[in-house]
Amino acid sequence: MVGGVFLQQTTTANASATTGPTLLPETIAGVLGGNGILVDVVSGFIAAFIVANIMLVMTAVAGPWAKRKITAAFTDRIAVNRVGPFGLLIIVADAVRLLSKELVVPDDVDRPAWDLAPIVLPFSALLGFAVIPMGSGLQLADPETGLAFVFAVASIASIGLVMAGYASNNKYSLLGALRSIAQNIAYEIPLVITAASVVIFAGTLQMSEIVAAQTETFVSVAGVSIPQWYAFVNPFAFVLFLIANMAEIGRNPFDIPEAPTEIVAGYQTEYSSVYFVLFYLGEFIHIFLGGAIMATLFLGGPAGPVLPGFVWFVIKIWAFFLFTQWARSAVPRVRIDQLIEIGWKGMLVLSFANLVLTAIIVGVIA
Amino acid sequence: MSKGESLPETTEPTTADDVAALIGDDLLDREEHVNAPGFVIRPDSVQDVLFRLRDEAGYDHLSCVSAQEYEDRYESIYHLKKFDDPTDEVSVVVPAAKDDPVSESAEPVFRTADWHEREAYDLVGIEYDDHPDLRRILLPETWQGHPLGLDYDQDRPQIVPLREHANPLQEDHEDDDGDTMFLNIGPHHPATHGVLHLETVLDGEQVIDVESDIGYLHRCEEQMAQQGTYRYQIMPYPDRWDYISAGLLNEYAYARAAEDLADIDVPEYAQVIRTMGAEMCRIASHMLAVGTFALDVYGDFTAIFMYAIRDREKMQDLLEDLTGQRLMFNYFRLGGVVWDLPEPREEFFEKVRDFLDELPEALEEYHDLISTNEILQVRTVGTGVLPPDVAKSYGATGPVARGSGIDYDLRRDDPYGYYDELDWDVCVEDGCDNYSRLLVRLREVEESAKIIEQCIDLLEDWPEDERTIQSNVPRTLRPEDDKEIYRAVEGAKGELGIYMRADGTDKPARFKIRSPCFSNLQTLPEMSNGEYVPDLIAALGSLDIVLGEVDR
Repeated sequence: MVGGVFLQQTTTANASATTGPTLLPETIAGVLGGNGILVDVVSGFIAAFIVANIMLVMTAVAGPWAKRKITAAFTDRIAVNRVGPFGLLIIVADAVRLLSKELVVPDDVDRPAWDLAPIVLPFSALLGFAVIPMGSGLQLADPETGLAFVFAVASIASIGLVMAGYASNNKYSLLGALRSIAQNIAYEIPLVITAASVVIFAGTLQMSEIVAAQTETFVSVAGVSIPQWYAFVNPFAFVLFLIANMAEIGRNPFDIPEAPTEIVAGYQTEYSSVYFVLFYLGEFIHIFLGGAIMATLFLGGPAGPVLPGFVWFVIKIWAFFLFTQWARSAVPRVRIDQLIEIGWKGMLVLSFANLVLTAIIVGVIA
Repeated sequence: MSKGESLPETTEPTTADDVAALIGDDLLDREEHVNAPGFVIRPDSVQDVLFRLRDEAGYDHLSCVSAQEYEDRYESIYHLKKFDDPTDEVSVVVPAAKDDPVSESAEPVFRTADWHEREAYDLVGIEYDDHPDLRRILLPETWQGHPLGLDYDQDRPQIVPLREHANPLQEDHEDDDGDTMFLNIGPHHPATHGVLHLETVLDGEQVIDVESDIGYLHRCEEQMAQQGTYRYQIMPYPDRWDYISAGLLNEYAYARAAEDLADIDVPEYAQVIRTMGAEMCRIASHMLAVGTFALDVYGDFTAIFMYAIRDREKMQDLLEDLTGQRLMFNYFRLGGVVWDLPEPREEFFEKVRDFLDELPEALEEYHDLISTNEILQVRTVGTGVLPPDVAKSYGATGPVARGSGIDYDLRRDDPYGYYDELDWDVCVEDGCDNYSRLLVRLREVEESAKIIEQCIDLLEDWPEDERTIQSNVPRTLRPEDDKEIYRAVEGAKGELGIYMRADGTDKPARFKIRSPCFSNLQTLPEMSNGEYVPDLIAALGSLDIVLGEVDR
């Protein structure tokens, strides 16, 4: 949210220069009326607050409720159905339960780092949403380097994990932190390079422009025009990005930084109560951010027929969430050395091949 | 039930006299145990004798080491068998002096003697010369006295000074100059299947060394059995050894040993019921083994775990119908079983048949989800390798041995119950890895289903007036003084053996349990040293240990 304000301030000049859709802070500023720096700051705050809360609400639904229901469906169970309609009030019950637990601080933890880590993780993911166009005018900022910004802030999470792992004074935590660094380095490069192939298509790093570029018709089948979503244009890049994204956010089969049966809970072993909630929150927001990046880069962002843009956006990121839970129920976890091998020997090579091929094709056509 | 391959025709000595001649001057005396001839040898020539018996006579399976204290001496009995023919048994009896109980260790000959002798030292108090690491194994290091010794005072308080043992794990766990890290896995850890403590030394993520610290679930099962009467009081205990729904298999071990000790006949009808019940337990146990192994590799409570539990639950319901219990069955009695099949019989048969009909589909699902899953194959094929000769040396049995290509199954090789009348196969895989052990279990479920189906067919047609569930067994059993027996059955995890010595009373003077998990767990360092931590966990899962049986 802080970043949102910061961005708001730095990018209003840019945003006003472009002819893109109206940003949420501008809409709010319009409602508030008046001009000047104070209105800009206040409307920026309000907009960031709205966007952050949308994501937090989705996380609250996803974590204690949807995840259980989805996993239960995959494993022949019923899951929560006692508290409230469809068990939905379990969200409240779980929130009270988790927040009222004792915050255990182990001896000899590295205090400032240990306390900061659970804050860094969710906020790095929330920052990413500052530039995501969610449709229906819900976008905080639209800098020209939007895509680079998303990857940059999402990677801050790694620092949070390392802080948690190192500061916890626990060997399992340390192993988890080391694993997460190795994993993030191995998969962020293919991730960014695959995204670069999209940039070659769209010719811009600006998120709204990438979305706009996908609205053109790709092919028309029996009168139904299929839009030029990059998942259709370049399915290979889409699959590559999906796999790298799963590793980036640490979901099965790449959930080795936590790996409950191996290293207990990895970097979050020593965290309890509020800090645990923050970690949990951070992970889910990261899943949603991963889904949002997928949607923006490959699935036309908030585009879709009939329903409003924001609804389509939510459907797309929940589809990605469903996919992660499906993988969790069905796919075994790979081993750490296999994960690194897949990353460096497979994904990296394939993503570079994809980039070069895309560049050649686009260069020849254009 | 003929062996798949023909046995090599050699001039191996098989008669007791030949074995005696082989032992030569080291032989002090001859004994006669119910299961095998016993040879009393000099306590300082154990390794010599065992080397000769292993290499020249082919006794390559040290099944168990039973130690006990007499009024005038200590005694260790090495129960030797052949993997090719487990009915060919020899008991090597090693006496040790009362005032200074020392005998030579068998560890250089059979690696499995390591833990067995440690247990003998821990509980009985015999010391083994030349043993690489003679420490307590089940009891805490600070324990005073040896509980199964004759002069052990149970009322003496165990005083453990706190200042010396404030943290027994504290020493030498900081490796300042090396690159290794010491890591305690367990006793509370998601993947240790109970209270197992693995002391691992890691180099990065690689396992340099792993040592199992067991005994957290030690419940004095042997001593409790020694305080119960043969006829009624011991039978409930076996259910508590391997409590993961393998209860009837455990009861079978005691029933078989005690019936042979006291010359009790079992009616054929009861044998069929026993065989059926035992195989039901095997299916339930293997289901859980497959489910938890998948849990260890998948790393979450995934679909396959729930499916396995779901199918095990159906079997659990059938066992409840049969025995009246879900966990602690207490269904066998010496001379038969406690009651007949549940009425109405047709309903029970139909339920069992329904389960058997659905089983192939369920197994197909397992194969789809796990054994043909590529990631799982990448994870398990070629990891946790246990070569056959190593497995034999460690006395590994059951699916662990059969996953290493050792064609050894007591149900066929040392038949009991009704197994030799039925048509089924022993499942053997040559991969020696985690994947092979998984496959063996999945295939054994099919074979067990075949056995159950045949038993059901037999039971359905059994004439009503011949349904004798128990033979006439005296109310009190008093086997003769000094009668000794060691008998094993094929439990879910492997060879579950019981050694008993009678002293003329209605309670055994010594009751020793040979737990398959105990021996199998010993192979863990062989399987995981040099592998990554996830493979250590997978190997541990593939061993399918139950701590209740390891610690007894």
